[in-house]
Amino acid sequence: MTSELDTGRASRGDRARSRAYLREFGAAMAAYVVVLVAVTVWGGLHGHDPARFALAVLPAVPAAGVAWAVLRHVRRIDDYQRRILLEGIAVGFALAMLGSVTLGLLAAAGLVVPGAPWIVYGIGMVSWAIGSGVAARR
Amino acid sequence: MRNRLKELREARGLTQAALADRLDVSRQTVNALETGRYDPSLPLAFRLARVFEQPIEAIFEPDDDAAVPRQGR
Repeated sequence: MTSELDTGRASRGDRARSRAYLREFGAAMAAYVVVLVAVTVWGGLHGHDPARFALAVLPAVPAAGVAWAVLRHVRRIDDYQRRILLEGIAVGFALAMLGSVTLGLLAAAGLVVPGAPWIVYGIGMVSWAIGSGVAARR
Repeated sequence: MRNRLKELREARGLTQAALADRLDVSRQTVNALETGRYDPSLPLAFRLARVFEQPIEAIFEPDDDAAVPRQGR
């Protein structure tokens, strides 16, 4: 039974941690989108200049910033939240690896699935989110 | 592990969020502790004992199957 004290509202610490995460994640994500759009529009990725390869991977730099923001968040949260997050990541990693192996086996048999790396990425992210949700409700 | 956290918190008129701030954890964690979904780490158990001014064993009680097994010969 819940009492009037169980409001379900986030604590001040929760809000501060969320703000810090959103600020760092949002800044890195915004930088990623800007660089991605710039490279796609002006990068000449379909040309023949060897420099296009360097430009093509340029968005990975701000994407590393996103990973850094997630790591900082993991260090900021408490043990219980970290357990939930890491259980979700374990599910995401396992399913992404399974997807990667499956696509690799298909490619070995001659069926190359277009955009396979992005499919693996999507499997990993979606299953991470679902895995974290399930872990939080157990 | 069973615990008296909800009872002790409400006796002091604290919301889960207020207790979470005193313990420097999330409200979600306080909720998980109270509902028995999460057993605290030793440092967190000591912080709880300090907040409620009670020894750890007065707050937490092990489940029957978590009792120390009798030493065999």
